[in-house]
Amino acid sequence: MELFLQITAVWGVYLGIGVFVIGMGWRVYEWMSTPRSPVALGMFPKPKTGVGRFFKALKDTFIAPQTAKISPWMWVFAFLFHIAALAAFVGHLRLVQEFTPLANLLGEDGMSAFAAWSGGIAGSVMMVAVMFWILRRTFGPYKQLSVPEDYLLLFLLFGVIIMGNHLRFFGHVHAETYMEWFQSLLVFKPVLPAELLATTTGWSLGAHMLFTVLFLIYFPFSKLTHTIGSLAANMTRSE
Amino acid sequence: MMETTNVDTMVGVIDKKMNRQLKQYLDICARCAICKDACHQYVTTGDFKYLPARRAELIRQIYKKYFTKSGQFVPELYEARDPDENLLDELYESAYACTGCRRCMYYCPFSIDTAWILSVAKGILIAAGRGDEMLSQLADAAIMKGDEPEMFHDVLVEGFKDIEAELREELGDNTIEVPVDVKGADILYVGLAGSHTIKPAARIFHEAGQSWTLSLFEAANYGFFFGDGAKATKIAKRFMDEAVELGVKEVVITECGHAYRVAKLFYEAWSGEKMPFKVSHILEVIDRFMAEGRLKLQPGAITEPITYHDPCQVGRNGGIYEEPRRIVEAISADFRDLTPNRAEQWCCGGGGGLVALTDMEDMRLKSGDKKVEQIRKTGATVIASPCENCRLQMEDLVKANDLDLKVMAVMDLVVEAMY
Repeated sequence: MELFLQITAVWGVYLGIGVFVIGMGWRVYEWMSTPRSPVALGMFPKPKTGVGRFFKALKDTFIAPQTAKISPWMWVFAFLFHIAALAAFVGHLRLVQEFTPLANLLGEDGMSAFAAWSGGIAGSVMMVAVMFWILRRTFGPYKQLSVPEDYLLLFLLFGVIIMGNHLRFFGHVHAETYMEWFQSLLVFKPVLPAELLATTTGWSLGAHMLFTVLFLIYFPFSKLTHTIGSLAANMTRSE
Repeated sequence: MMETTNVDTMVGVIDKKMNRQLKQYLDICARCAICKDACHQYVTTGDFKYLPARRAELIRQIYKKYFTKSGQFVPELYEARDPDENLLDELYESAYACTGCRRCMYYCPFSIDTAWILSVAKGILIAAGRGDEMLSQLADAAIMKGDEPEMFHDVLVEGFKDIEAELREELGDNTIEVPVDVKGADILYVGLAGSHTIKPAARIFHEAGQSWTLSLFEAANYGFFFGDGAKATKIAKRFMDEAVELGVKEVVITECGHAYRVAKLFYEAWSGEKMPFKVSHILEVIDRFMAEGRLKLQPGAITEPITYHDPCQVGRNGGIYEEPRRIVEAISADFRDLTPNRAEQWCCGGGGGLVALTDMEDMRLKSGDKKVEQIRKTGATVIASPCENCRLQMEDLVKANDLDLKVMAVMDLVVEAMY
């Protein structure tokens, strides 16, 4: 197990984050170094001022009201998924730095309960959304339109989420242990705490990290660049 | 398998047309297929090749293969492929069928402009010698007319004078004019081939006491539909140069959708010239005349239930929603808007030059089902629309669906409502 964790939860983390950051930077560079269309591609109605157009683009990106109108179920799942993913991401920041004011406020048990509930809900919502997408892609025109990339991403995402939920619902390791592990990575003195290696939870963490690392590595080369590209593209609609 | 040189040429087209927006569109589409319910052609036929994201995917497949490292490394992941004859067949169907209404872009959470991506597809088809023949010939004929204006000038002017004589006789008014080549006129009015766009405009300008002159060239731009930017620029340049030469203050495009968009939104960027006049749609001008009290119209003159169709290039892509509604509502007693309308308006199915393409006629008529459904719901017996292609399509829809419906230009209604 130690070797597996060395690969996935130590070196993999560095590799995944490295590829992700450089890859996304490269993607932005590629976009920025390509000249814009000389023709305005916007459509109407659009706000008259630049500030108005920017806020419309923000709304189009984060609320997508038109999408809600034409495809309500897709919108519901997409919206919930993205909110849950954001919540999960924020929750994971606890690994970097304990949310001290919140922990003080809730107390040790309160904080654990809060983390269990919020993390559990976020993980469950994401799992349901990804299952919805997998099912959706299995039928009709969605299946015809799908390419292997779509399934690969859903598979990796599903792996990340399932193993994350497994750690959340069945894991026997406390947050402090994960913090110890992750913060040791941040200072480049990786430690795999004995508590992790002692239980089967270590295997679960390794699997969670394996999916996460693969997901991060593939991210910049995939359609998931919509995370940074959709605001720019939505700006174009309002230009 | 296609010869390497051909593949190079086609890939070269993408390279030449590449810009930041296109790159983003090709990189970020999630294939969520939300666009499937936005496209009138897909909704009415259920044919996969008309699904907007699928149309764009054909270009994405070449892009992945030739413009991305990941696509070169694992093409299977993206179904990246070389352009071959099969792909060209698919591209032809997908690109020339698209009316460019951009309803899919409106609903796309990332605002992906499928019509823009398909302009690249048309470029590839043209480079491969597979561009649409009919549109190409129509574009070339228009360019020839611009290259040798003296060959056509006298014949055209004679024709315009005939129209003027007809008008004078019809109205019993010898002061009404169809002026041509008037230096220093305020407005250069650009019509379409045939007298139907000239006569009502002449009456309206006359009534409003507006100084104007008629363009020798028609507004329609088959170069735009064909997908050749250089040809499209040349065609629009004919009347743009004319406007500069005559020193007009405003170029007014007749009730035509794509010509308005080309003149108003594309021409300066295409030609790299800053034009010394503004470009308007005739309905903006009529609305202005009414607001200024220069054009007195009879309220409620149109008694039949009437509705209005937003042409995609005038509405969603041109930004004119309210002027035509103000005009129609002012002169009709029973105006009933279509649902949905304005930015969400369904395309009638006739745009993109499709009314000129006989090989796609069956699909075109079928794709009008949504429009027919919308019109039936209003119970209107007259529909007004300021776009020639929309009107031709809707006239075909009337025949095909046995509708009790009169298809009118807004100008014609205005003329009916004049005292």
